[in-house]
Amino acid sequence: MRYVLRRLGFYLLAAWASLTLNFVIPRLAPGDPASAMFARFEGRIQPEAMAAMRAAFGFTEAPLHVQYVTYLRHLFAGDLGLSYAYYPSRVSEVIGTGLIWTVGLAGCAVVFSFALGSMLGVLAAWNRGGWLDTVVAPALAFLGAFPYFWLAMLALYLFGFGLGWFPLRHAYSHDLEPALSFAFATDVARHAVLPAASIVVATMGGWMLSMRNTMVATLGTDTLRLAHAKGLPPRQVMLRYAARNALLPNVTGFGMALGFVLSGSLLTEIVFSYPGTGYLLILAVRNQDYPLMQGLFLVITLAVLAANFAVDLLCLWLDPRTRAHA
Amino acid sequence: MKSATWLLLSVLWLSCTTESRPRPPATLFVSVEMHSAWVRNFNPLFAGAGSRWPTRAGVYECMEIYTPSTGKWVPWLATGHTWSEDRRTLRFTLREGVRWSDGRPFHAEDVAFTFQLMKRHAALDGGGIWRFIEDVRAEDSHTVAFHFSRVYIPGFAELAHQPIVPRHVWEKVADPVTFTNPEPVATGPFTEVRVFRNQVYELGKNPHYWQPGKPAVDALRFLAFPTNDQANLALVEGDVDWAGNFVPAVDRTFVSKDPEHHARWFPLFGSTVFLYPNTKRAPFDDVRVRKALSMGVDRERLVDIAMYGYTRPADSTALNDSYTRWRDEEAANGTWVRHDVKEAARLLDEAGLKPGPDGLRRGPDGLPLKLDIEVVGGWSDWVRAGQVLARDLRKLGLDAHLKTYEFGAWQARLQKGEFQLSIAWSLDGPTPYTFYKWLISSHTVRPLGEVAASNWHRFGDPEADALLTRFETEVSPEEQKALMAAVQRRFSELAPAIPLFPNPSWGESNSKRFTGFPTAQNPYARLSPHAEPDSLLVLTELAPRKP
Repeated sequence: MRYVLRRLGFYLLAAWASLTLNFVIPRLAPGDPASAMFARFEGRIQPEAMAAMRAAFGFTEAPLHVQYVTYLRHLFAGDLGLSYAYYPSRVSEVIGTGLIWTVGLAGCAVVFSFALGSMLGVLAAWNRGGWLDTVVAPALAFLGAFPYFWLAMLALYLFGFGLGWFPLRHAYSHDLEPALSFAFATDVARHAVLPAASIVVATMGGWMLSMRNTMVATLGTDTLRLAHAKGLPPRQVMLRYAARNALLPNVTGFGMALGFVLSGSLLTEIVFSYPGTGYLLILAVRNQDYPLMQGLFLVITLAVLAANFAVDLLCLWLDPRTRAHA
Repeated sequence: MKSATWLLLSVLWLSCTTESRPRPPATLFVSVEMHSAWVRNFNPLFAGAGSRWPTRAGVYECMEIYTPSTGKWVPWLATGHTWSEDRRTLRFTLREGVRWSDGRPFHAEDVAFTFQLMKRHAALDGGGIWRFIEDVRAEDSHTVAFHFSRVYIPGFAELAHQPIVPRHVWEKVADPVTFTNPEPVATGPFTEVRVFRNQVYELGKNPHYWQPGKPAVDALRFLAFPTNDQANLALVEGDVDWAGNFVPAVDRTFVSKDPEHHARWFPLFGSTVFLYPNTKRAPFDDVRVRKALSMGVDRERLVDIAMYGYTRPADSTALNDSYTRWRDEEAANGTWVRHDVKEAARLLDEAGLKPGPDGLRRGPDGLPLKLDIEVVGGWSDWVRAGQVLARDLRKLGLDAHLKTYEFGAWQARLQKGEFQLSIAWSLDGPTPYTFYKWLISSHTVRPLGEVAASNWHRFGDPEADALLTRFETEVSPEEQKALMAAVQRRFSELAPAIPLFPNPSWGESNSKRFTGFPTAQNPYARLSPHAEPDSLLVLTELAPRKP
């Protein structure tokens, strides 16, 4: 229990540090949002509007520490402010447009990739020298080494444009009303296949290789030899003894990967026009939209920290040694 | 494991067999804005807002519409206007029988209220109209009068183009600047938000629209495309009926796919692209140097390489094709925009920038001149233009290099005057007044280091000021033309900035399902949906094709 509390304290500290960085970093960037927004219109609105925009965005000349206190106060009140790029919409509303789709798509893809990759890794190590080990593992590593953008475009071109098996864009058909129905669910699934598969293909090799390598090391330990000698069923030895021990590094990596779901699916969203939060982040940076940037960073930061905390707890359960030190 | 595989296969099978449904025949698919997800905002008053298209010209409407393609003002919510004798009062006569989409009648009070709202909330006054008007009043139900604080004829365009909002709705809005107006009440052809989801929204037609039988289109539908590539793919596939995208090699990739229905019209009505020299810094303060740089540029090659040949080299007035009737022949014949390396070298020699033994030209301090041409990193057309420019200038013995910046950094440097040479756009209006005001008027010059909205090259000419000031008070078309001709000659003589090419106004149409798109033969408006407010004319002109 004390261990858990100590970890929790650490995460709170990390959360505060990242929130503070979140506040400082955008303010170091050159330019200001009003002129950035004005410039975006490329001369289609009159220059007189610039002063008016500054007024509308309420740019304060207040000293940084005052702005910082206001920032924290608003944050705790759950008020993320108004977005500049989507002015006058609320940041929470803007993030809300895409969050569920990003979490759904990238979250499922990461979980799937992790589960499948680790499982293949276990099997590859167990049957060392088999076809999984000699063909599939290098092939997946090869695919993973491709630039993701290119891989995704290729998938879109081949299976979407060329063969016409899958839709070219979006999370569901635009003429379909979102509803809890079978038709809608299959439509969503159909739209998710290409983007999710491209993420899985690009990342699975990593999980498989790292799982295989740790597993090979574990298989050589005395514990495993003892298990074999005791005459336990091979399946039980493989899963409960070898795999459980070998899983630790992958679980730690999984925590990190989950956190990056929100920002990491940017390229997927661009290639497949998937309505998510990754694209918002680019837009926010381009428009110097501090409130939106901060809102997104906040969500991402909290997600990373929460995921890591969950992984800590999982490690605690998987590995008795962590409990001993606690 | 087995059941998982089975599940996966069945999902795949279902995925492949779902049929796509036919599109409703009277729903027009439009691609204007690039977004990954839509945010619901129909506020027409705050110009800086990310309000959904066509909020400012389509949901809401203005009093009169200028069409650069014909050079005419089209009466809209107002049937006409008159200036008082002393040109200090402008009266608009409003159209009878116009109703808001909730059925209430449109009244002169609505117009007066809209402008008063802009007085109370400066952020809404994007055109800065309250700097030249004193008062606005509804004189009766169909007459609205603007009283000017000084004679300022160009102000007409700002007033005529202002989207008008209903008083009975907006007087209850606490803060019209931050109001997202989710359910618009308006006079335009499309006012009913039928669908609003993150990847699609649909606007249905206004049941009370004032033009009988219009719009013939039942609804507008907008799909979210985050990038040009995706939007272009949809256009080529026939999923979009009307678009305003930049399409590379458009004739091959789009028009030739279905020449009968696929059309593009890229008239040169966009803002002119300039190479801005910072005239507050040596050696760009010398007109000979500016002209020499301009003469070193092979514009024919530049437009071929950077713009796929979609445009033409700029002439020495720098005016785009929407100002053709203003163009002064004498001013347009300036030789300093023609490619002439010899003459350019002579001018540079004369300006004291002589080449050293290594062939590089030296400044007065004896050091080789290093020139940086600044552009935005990802804007491929301008990056290519910058590469051509740098190569051409190196042929003059100038050590010129392209420097790319992230957008925010680039525009901060541009606006503060922290550059040597930078590629950027220019500003337009119904007359060349706005264009030249921001190129040559000393009233628009800001000191170095201070943010300037335009006139980034920081050049002012008192003689041009006098001409532009007289233009502000002139109503006679002949006199206006003469004054503007004099401004053009001044521009051509002083070369405050180096014009490269006028931008095309990108517009693509697919007439398979709809008819009535503007074309070069029928240029009643610009084809580009970006071209507000004349895009409103297109929205009311389009009709579904009879089966």
